[in-house]
Amino acid sequence: MTAILEGRNIVKTFTTRRGGQKHEVRAVGDVTVAADRGEIVGLVGESGCGKTTFSRILIGIETASSGTVLHDGKPVATKADWKALRRDVQYVFQDPYTSLCPTMRIGEALAEPLLVHGIGDKSERAERVREALSLVGLQGFIADRLPSQLSGGQRQRVSLARALMIRPRVLICDEIVSGLDVSVQAQVLTLLTELQASLGLSLIFISHDLRVIRYLCDRVVVMYRGEIVEQGPVERVFGAPESDYTRGLLAAIPDHSRRGEPRLGLRPAGHEGARLA
Amino acid sequence: MSADPALRFEHVTIAFPGAEGPLKVVNDVSFAVGSGQCLVIVGESGSGKSMACQALLGIVPAPGAVSGQGIFWEGRDLLKSSARDWMKVRGAEIAMVFQDPAAALNPLMPVGRQIVDVVRAHRSVTRAEAERRAIEVLNQVGFPEPERRMRAYPIELSGGLRQRVAIALALACGPKLIVADEATTNLDVSIQAQIIGLLRSLKEELGISIVFVTHDLGLAPEIGDEVLVMYAGHAVERGPVREVLDRPSHPYTIGLLNSAPTLESSRAHPLKPIPGQVPALDEIGAGAPFRSRCPVVVSGRCDSAKPDWTACGGGHFVACHRFAQDGIGGVQ
Ligand SMILES: Nc1ncnc2c1ncn2[C@@H]1O[C@H](COP(=O)(O)OP(=O)(O)OP(=O)(O)O)[C@@H](O)[C@H]1O
Ligand SMILES: Nc1ncnc2c1ncn2[C@@H]1O[C@H](COP(=O)(O)OP(=O)(O)OP(=O)(O)O)[C@@H](O)[C@H]1O
Ligand SMILES: [Mg+2]
Ligand SMILES: [Mg+2]
Repeated sequence: MTAILEGRNIVKTFTTRRGGQKHEVRAVGDVTVAADRGEIVGLVGESGCGKTTFSRILIGIETASSGTVLHDGKPVATKADWKALRRDVQYVFQDPYTSLCPTMRIGEALAEPLLVHGIGDKSERAERVREALSLVGLQGFIADRLPSQLSGGQRQRVSLARALMIRPRVLICDEIVSGLDVSVQAQVLTLLTELQASLGLSLIFISHDLRVIRYLCDRVVVMYRGEIVEQGPVERVFGAPESDYTRGLLAAIPDHSRRGEPRLGLRPAGHEGARLA
Repeated sequence: MSADPALRFEHVTIAFPGAEGPLKVVNDVSFAVGSGQCLVIVGESGSGKSMACQALLGIVPAPGAVSGQGIFWEGRDLLKSSARDWMKVRGAEIAMVFQDPAAALNPLMPVGRQIVDVVRAHRSVTRAEAERRAIEVLNQVGFPEPERRMRAYPIELSGGLRQRVAIALALACGPKLIVADEATTNLDVSIQAQIIGLLRSLKEELGISIVFVTHDLGLAPEIGDEVLVMYAGHAVERGPVREVLDRPSHPYTIGLLNSAPTLESSRAHPLKPIPGQVPALDEIGAGAPFRSRCPVVVSGRCDSAKPDWTACGGGHFVACHRFAQDGIGGVQ
C-alpha cells in the first residue's frame, strides 16, 4: 500500500547569524515518517526535537535541506504538486493565536477555504460553517465573534474546524488538544476517530500528552534531538518500549489517578533541543 | 494580619456588553490564596479562567467591566487602585505567564533583551547585572545554553522554548504572586516536571503565592494546595486538591474526571465526554449553570435558583442543589 503522505530522509539545518558568527542548528536529521490512508500516526519527543519543523516540511511551509516529500507515492516537486498536496492535506497549528486573522469574523474565516475552492453558495456555506462549529462543540453565535473575543480553547477549536472545512484526506495536528478541558478534549478525540472511521482520514498527530497519543494513535514515532529513536504500533511501544528514552518518557506521565506518588524517571533538564551541527 | 490570605478575590463579576444585556463571563466568583500557597483553577474551556487571571493584573480587555467587592492584594484593593499604582504592582509584585506565549513576546527583539528590559524597568540595576539575572532565570526554567541562545529571536525557538522564555520573563523581577495561565501546556513531561518543581520551591522557600490554571488534572496534586472548579463563569466546587479529586461532588467535576484519559485509556474503552454543549452565557439566567447537561437535576430548583455553597467536610465546598438535598449519594 502506498502511503498517502510521506516525508522521506528529511534533513533540516537552520543557519543563524549573530554578530558575524554563523551557527548551524540541525533541527531534523534524516527522518522518514509515512501515513497510510486512515492511519493515525503520533509524533512525540521532548521540546525542540524537531516535531514542528518536520511537520511543516510535509506541507511545504518550510523547505527541507534535503529529502523528499511524497504525496500518494509521488515526489512533490513542482508548484502544481504542492498545490494538489495542499488541497488534500490541512494543518492545524500549535499556536492558534497567530493562525487566525484578527480582523476577520470567525464565520468568514471558516467560509474562506470554501470560497477559495469555489464550494457551495452563500447559504450552503453558512450551513457548513454552523455544522463545523457544532462538530467541535461550539455554538453558532461564535461565527459572529472576532478571534480576540474567544477563549484559548475556543480559538483552538475554530482552527480545527477551519482545517476540516474542505474535508481533507490528511490532517496534521500540532499540539491541538492540550489547551482544552478534558471533556472537550474527549469530544475532539472522538470526532477525530469518527472521521478516521467514516472518511478514512489520516492524521499526523503531535502531542506531549502520551495519554492522548496512546488513546488516539495506531502508530507512534518517538523523536529525540532531530532523530527517530523508536517507532511502532502504540500497544507495542507503550507496552514494551525498546529504548531507554521512551521508557523515561512513559515513567514521567502525570496522572490524576496516581495517588500522590512522585513521577518516576525524570531526566535532568537542559539536554533538550536540537543537536548543534 | 499574618493569618489573612495574601490575595482575596471577592465576589468578582466580569461582564461584556451583549445583544440582550451584559454577558457575565465571570459571575460572582470568590477565592483566596495565602502566602506560599497555590490555587489551581480548572474548568471548562471558555469558563472565565483567563478572564479571572487578567482581572488580577488589571488587564481585562475593553469593553469588559470588572465589578464586585474587591480584589485585595496584601490588604490593598486593586479594584480601587489607580492605573498607575496597578502598573507598579504588575510585573514587580504580581506577574503573569500568559496562556499565549506569542502575545507576551516581541517578535522583533531577541528573547534575552526582552528579559533584560523587564528587569531594568522595575529595578535600578546596570545592564550587566540585568543580563546576569536574565541568564539566571533562563537557567532556572531549563532554557538550554542561555548565554548563547538568549540572542535568538522568538521565531527561532520551538514552542516549548518560547513558553519557557515567557515563564522566565514572569520570574525575572522576583514577584510575590505568580499567575500562570496554562504555563506548562506546551511543555514535554520532563520540562513540565522541572517547572512544577521550580514553582514549588518558590512557594515553599520564598513564600510566593501562585494561581495556576491548567487543564491537566494530573498536575493539580503536584503543585496545588486548593483547587477551584469553574463552569460557564461560575465557581462550582472548591477545596483541598486531594479532597476534590478523591471525592468530586459537583456533577460537572465528576463528568470532567470521567472524561480524562489516564495511563490505562485505550480505544477499546472510549472516552466519555460530558454529553451536550455549554449553554450560551445569556441562557443561564437564574438557575444552576450546569443544569442543561446535568444528569441529576432537582426539578423546580435548578432552573430557578443559583445553588449556594454546601460544605462537604474538610474545607471542601460544592454549589449544587442535588448535593445540598441528597448528599454525595445524590450526585454519584
Ligand atoms: N527559524 C528557525 N531558526 C533557527 N532555529 C530554529 C528555527 N525554527 C526552529 N528552530 C530550532 O529547531 C529545533 C526544533 O524546533 P521545533 O519547533 O521543530 O521543535 P518541536 O519538537 O516542535 O518542539 P516543541 O515541542 O517545543 O514545540 C529547535 O531547537 C528550534 O530552536
Ligand atoms: N471581548 C470579548 N467579548 C465577549 N466575550 C468574550 C470576549 N473575550 C472573551 N469572551 C468570552 O469570555 C469567556 C471566558 O473566556 P476566558 O478566556 O476567560 O476562558 P477560559 O476559561 O480561559 O477558557 P480556555 O480554557 O479555553 O482558555 C469565553 O466564553 C469567551 O468567549
Ligand atoms: Mg512544536
Ligand atoms: Mg484561557
